[in-house]
Amino acid sequence: MLDNQPFREGHVTVNGVDVRYRVAGPENDRTPLVLVHGTAGSIDGHYGYIFPMMAYRQRVIALDWSEPAGDTLELADLVAQVKAVITAEVPEGPVTLMGYSLGACVAAMTAAEMGGKIANLILAAGWLRTDTHQKMRNDVWRQLRDQDSASVTQYMTFCAFSPAFMNMRTVEDMKAAAGMLKITPFVEKQMDLNTRIDIAAACETIAAKTLVIGCTYDMMVPKHHSKQLFGAIEDARYAEIPSGHAVVHERAAELFHYVDRFTRQPDEFPAGAIIPAQKP
Amino acid sequence: MTTETDILIVGTGFAGLGMAIQLKRSGRENFIAIERAGDVGGTWRDNHYPGIACDVPSHLYSYSYLPNPDWSRVFSPGGEIQAYIRKCAEDEGILPHIHFHTNMLKSTWDEDAKRWIVETSKGTYAAKILITGTGHLADGHMPNIEGLDSFTGDVFHSADWDHSVPLEGKRIGVVGSGASAIQIVPEMQRLASELVVFQRSAPYMIPRWDRAFTEGERRMCRRDPSVVEDMRSEIFWSGEFNFAQRRNIPRFLNEAKALAVGHREANIKDPELLAKLTPDYEIGCKRLLISNTYYPAVAAENATLEASALQRVEGNTAYGASGTGYDLDVLVFATGFEAVRPPFATRIFGTEGISLDERWDQGMQAYDSIAVNGYPNLFIINGPNTGLGHNSVVYIIEAQVDYIMEALAQIDAQNIEVIEVKRAAEDAYMEKLDAMAQGTVWLAGGCKSWYVDERSGRLTLVWPDFAHSFRDENGTFHPEGYDMQPAPVAAE
Ligand SMILES: Cc1cc2nc3c(=O)[nH]c(=O)nc-3n(C[C@H](O)[C@H](O)[C@H](O)COP(=O)(O)OP(=O)(O)OC[C@H]3O[C@@H](n4cnc5c(N)ncnc54)[C@H](O)[C@@H]3O)c2cc1C
Repeated sequence: MLDNQPFREGHVTVNGVDVRYRVAGPENDRTPLVLVHGTAGSIDGHYGYIFPMMAYRQRVIALDWSEPAGDTLELADLVAQVKAVITAEVPEGPVTLMGYSLGACVAAMTAAEMGGKIANLILAAGWLRTDTHQKMRNDVWRQLRDQDSASVTQYMTFCAFSPAFMNMRTVEDMKAAAGMLKITPFVEKQMDLNTRIDIAAACETIAAKTLVIGCTYDMMVPKHHSKQLFGAIEDARYAEIPSGHAVVHERAAELFHYVDRFTRQPDEFPAGAIIPAQKP
Repeated sequence: MTTETDILIVGTGFAGLGMAIQLKRSGRENFIAIERAGDVGGTWRDNHYPGIACDVPSHLYSYSYLPNPDWSRVFSPGGEIQAYIRKCAEDEGILPHIHFHTNMLKSTWDEDAKRWIVETSKGTYAAKILITGTGHLADGHMPNIEGLDSFTGDVFHSADWDHSVPLEGKRIGVVGSGASAIQIVPEMQRLASELVVFQRSAPYMIPRWDRAFTEGERRMCRRDPSVVEDMRSEIFWSGEFNFAQRRNIPRFLNEAKALAVGHREANIKDPELLAKLTPDYEIGCKRLLISNTYYPAVAAENATLEASALQRVEGNTAYGASGTGYDLDVLVFATGFEAVRPPFATRIFGTEGISLDERWDQGMQAYDSIAVNGYPNLFIINGPNTGLGHNSVVYIIEAQVDYIMEALAQIDAQNIEVIEVKRAAEDAYMEKLDAMAQGTVWLAGGCKSWYVDERSGRLTLVWPDFAHSFRDENGTFHPEGYDMQPAPVAAE
């Protein structure tokens, strides 16, 4: 008999589009955890591990982004969706808000705007301001996409995983994984948004207790970005996971470990601390 | 004559030895480890059957503070692990602290002297603190088989292999299909004229990603120890990932199942054999096995898979529960260990004068998986709720040793004479664990396994969570769970 965790689906309307979310896990002394996925992601795609495992610990809420009307996507569109879900489910707050990749930028912006309602913040593989290195990668991606090249998903996969992770698998395995990626017009808009991120000013105003998680072998959002977030946010502590950008797949259990510890006791480490890696 | 010591450790496997090393490293000299056998190593000393190897990669399955750059393979053979443990004992200067051939027979708490009185095969010891590291897979389990006495051939247990028995060209029966059996069977298949495997229930099996390390790789590990550290981290966290399967989450369980089914079907073509090798319970409910050689071995010409338990023996014929008989020269029992009711528990008597085994009549339990109310100044390593289905036991042992080191530091600092866990704390801990265990594959997977105590249906052997949360929760001493009595100040 499988342990089919009970969960509830909810939805809110934001600027005319329907945003769906999922709620699971017991209410207890931990603040509810709200999960925001990243580019080309979804609840199952980016939080397939963290969502069910954290729901054995506490209340977890996660949303799937919906494509807003219009030709370009703005950070504010996604922030509005996250705010609406929080307001619907935990109107008085406080929550712990976690974002991954572009979702981390969304979460940081949300924390800046919602103030005290966001008691704790977790930013995994996020960034402060898009830099030349990222623009260059994004530009290659754009060219491959414009050529309608099949290699665009392979390029994404190549950039997403660390060499160590890839070397445990075959080229065929990795190509098969690439084949599962779907590039929709909404994903294209997210890729475009990725080139225009600048949340530096907002980060200076974040009051939430924050855990910044950088990934040692990240080629998409190299860890110096996480260090910048660690510097910009007043009450931040930093942890590093030896994985590529796809930490939610590569080192899901280690990511869980940091999320679990932080949500249990956000002040276990003081602001400014670099959390030592567990040496098993 | 009674030998006095501050701290007495029972057993010198990974647990007892790991404890001794940390005591020594902290500058303590006043401790003794007793060991019933003639060498350290425990599991790895006793199990020297053909084919023995670990099933957690060696770079992780070793002490974190004594990395070994020289492992020959990803999954090293048992002899190499034994040599490693032996070397650790020598290098760390522990051998002089060990009293070999010293079997703990009876330990009783002396309320007046506030000491454990430990009677052994080599005399009596008195110790302020007693620490058991007797292992949960240390005493071989032999099923009661009707007529086994009448067997005309040779019989032995996997954990007590009789290397003097010739096997080449013999008719060999292997009883069992667990972790030891699947390592033994391929070796026996190569030697035997005929091989019969008595299988009570079919195990799940996945491929074993094993290979030899090159000399260059070993040199790399010697030259740059951070390489070993990175490997440990990699192995540990990929092991941790698999806890989601044990947690019984459909997506991850199904991924593991697909791997196991694919492995089975790639190796076994005969539909009848395939049916016999297909488990009737959920994956992970019993230990998930890893082997590339077991399926080919049972599918070989000279092998028969008897899909029922060995039931009785008459002369040289061994009968499965199905009624089929096989004429055999050798019977190997790979039937596991006395895990659920460990024998050491019948030998330790607390403040009420009852044995731990009686105290545990509804199954083993201990606060923080280490201390039992009514048994003051006793710490149990690798006892109740410490087993893992998905990662290295040495990691758990190290967390427990850290816990004890902190407890000892506090005992010294506050001059504590008696430390006893509160019953309420112990019960609350077990309630928490019971709740965590609900819905896990061990309880809900539809199998009978040694992880669960039949008397209560409780999961008493396994830690029902990530290994890393064991360290988070039980890697540090929790004084609030204990009553601590300081020693009276000596009157002048
Ligand atoms: C075949 C086999 C393969 C295994 N493979 C793995 C693996 O790959 N990965 C993994 O994590 N775990 C594995 N295990 C589990 C293994 O038991 C533990 O990893 C670990 O070795 C346990 O160490 P320990 O010190 O707790 O117990 P043990 O190694 O069992 O040591 C206990 C010691 O206590 C002594 N002792 C017991 N009773 C007394 C007494 N009354 N008086 C004096 N001395 C006593 C025993 O002689 C023994 O030396 C395996 C077990 C077996 C049997």
